[in-house]
Amino acid sequence: MASVAATGSAEAKASMAPRRDGVEWPLAGPLGLAYTAFFAAPLLLLFAISFYDDSDLTRITGSQWVKFFSDPFYLSVIGRTLQLGAVTVLATTVLSFPLALVFCASRPSVQKLLLLIIIMPLLTSVVVRTFAWIVILAREGVINQAILTLGLSATPLPLLQTEFGLVLALTQIEMPLMLLPLITVMRAIDPNVVDASRALGASRWRTFFQVILPLSLPGWVAGATLVFASSVTAFISQSVIGGGRLVFLPSVIWQQSMVVYNWPFAAVAAVTLLVTVLTGICLLAALSVRLAGR
Amino acid sequence: MFSRHVDRRTVLLGATSLAAAAAVPTPALAKGSVTAAIYPGTWDEAYRSIVAPALKKAKDVDLALEPLFAVDQIAKAQAARGAPPFDAFVLDPGPRALAIERGLFEKFDASKLSNAAKLPAGFADAHGVAVNTQIVGIAYNPKKVPTPKSWKDLFGEPYVSRLGLTGFQTTFGTLSLIEIAKAYGGSETNVEPAFVEVKKALPKVAAVMAPAALPGLFQQGQIDICYTNTNNVASLKARGVDIDFAFPEEGAITFITTLHIAKGAENVENAYAYIDTALSADVQAQLMKPPSSMIPTNKDVVLAELPIKSLDELSKMRTHDWSKINPLRAGWIERFNKEVSK
Repeated sequence: MASVAATGSAEAKASMAPRRDGVEWPLAGPLGLAYTAFFAAPLLLLFAISFYDDSDLTRITGSQWVKFFSDPFYLSVIGRTLQLGAVTVLATTVLSFPLALVFCASRPSVQKLLLLIIIMPLLTSVVVRTFAWIVILAREGVINQAILTLGLSATPLPLLQTEFGLVLALTQIEMPLMLLPLITVMRAIDPNVVDASRALGASRWRTFFQVILPLSLPGWVAGATLVFASSVTAFISQSVIGGGRLVFLPSVIWQQSMVVYNWPFAAVAAVTLLVTVLTGICLLAALSVRLAGR
Repeated sequence: MFSRHVDRRTVLLGATSLAAAAAVPTPALAKGSVTAAIYPGTWDEAYRSIVAPALKKAKDVDLALEPLFAVDQIAKAQAARGAPPFDAFVLDPGPRALAIERGLFEKFDASKLSNAAKLPAGFADAHGVAVNTQIVGIAYNPKKVPTPKSWKDLFGEPYVSRLGLTGFQTTFGTLSLIEIAKAYGGSETNVEPAFVEVKKALPKVAAVMAPAALPGLFQQGQIDICYTNTNNVASLKARGVDIDFAFPEEGAITFITTLHIAKGAENVENAYAYIDTALSADVQAQLMKPPSSMIPTNKDVVLAELPIKSLDELSKMRTHDWSKINPLRAGWIERFNKEVSK
């Protein structure tokens, strides 16, 4: 293998880029340049700013990093942000699997209708969806009015401004991101495999856990990645539905950059959020590699 | 046939012509133009639809508005080092004090304004001029709770369980918490008593909210009382929400929003023309109507649909020194987060 590559290398070098796998790399040039200029460079700048000491960006000490990571409050904010992502992934997972199964078992005409319903939340702006949830969850909202009318409780339940309410809203908002990849993968599962499992005497549940679930995991990993990244960074939903008592990383970034003018500290929080999201994604990616290798 | 290949010459030709197009000055349509920073949202909409046409009509100057939050205006002006991307600022007192500290304003000469004499005393100085007044007090739902009388009422029944708290992120939140602190023995620089009351009230309050959520939560009955400015009350009222404004007996809060000319501004004369137009009685009377509901600074404007009868009432209200507040505010914001966090 190595010797083959060595002998052919001299002549191959000249035309290697376009010929290998027939990919015209220069086609990616404009996007690559745009990414370098408008994404990579600002990211480096953000990273650099985080090491400054003061808001006028005069001294480089890294003191803001020390302040952020030595304060138990900010550590708890990181923990809470991660937890929000994890719980939302869990909730969307539990709700998405049955829906995906129903989808795959439906007739094509019903599938079209279901697909429209699933995509619908993506077609409304996040601001509208979030404020719609205020109408549903508020003290005089739809849920509380129903509860009071049915006599299930004498006083309105606190739903808004709670972790429960926030996860509920985020689950609805992020659900399509879980469902769409899951459905794509599930539809590709050979129905004969499921039939074989049933024919060999496995129960419905066993067939699900031992056949369908493992085969659909790549779709789940993709969905979980999207839901996690999207829910931990959902600034509007977090601040409007979660309220001031639930502090997450995005609101710390907003306060420090837009109100306090402490950009180095905001940069520290932003880099931390980035790393938090990337860690979640890497864990999920590692999981998918392990599953693929099985 | 056109060639499928885009060769270097074609690209260069295209690029050169683009550059040339950019370099050719657009024909002067008016006497000139002025670029003004403006708050996104209500301010942007109101100035675009009311001030811009008025300026064009009166002075033949085109107004270009750049929607920017206060922090962005300061950051951009500072980054530009003497060549600001806009000619005029619009700022609340906190950012205004910061910009003065950083030397971002051109020296302001109020005598160049035909409307300067119509402003209350102290509304124009060597830094800029007040274009809008805000009044901060207590907003409440008159169908749910009796009229509150003082800041202290917020922390007792029946109010506290219907109270929506906001932190130090906004100007109105900061000033209200300072006044609450004062009512309990604190001062402009000592807000400790407010923190004590907030902490005691936490298990009972209806919400601790992001300022952006305030209108939605009030409208949906999640909260029935909060501290806010009259603009929020007016815009909710215009939408049919049961909301009224109450003046706390300790004195309501007032602060001014000011216009300034940026240091090194390109169109200084046009900037004065813009500011003069924004101060004119006719324009301010239009800005006073909902949905913008801005309280004018020009004394010629006949006040209507506002919680005050005359601008003279402002002199009895509480004002604050932001050069003392600014250095402490970051600490207060952090402290508030920690105190209310579950």
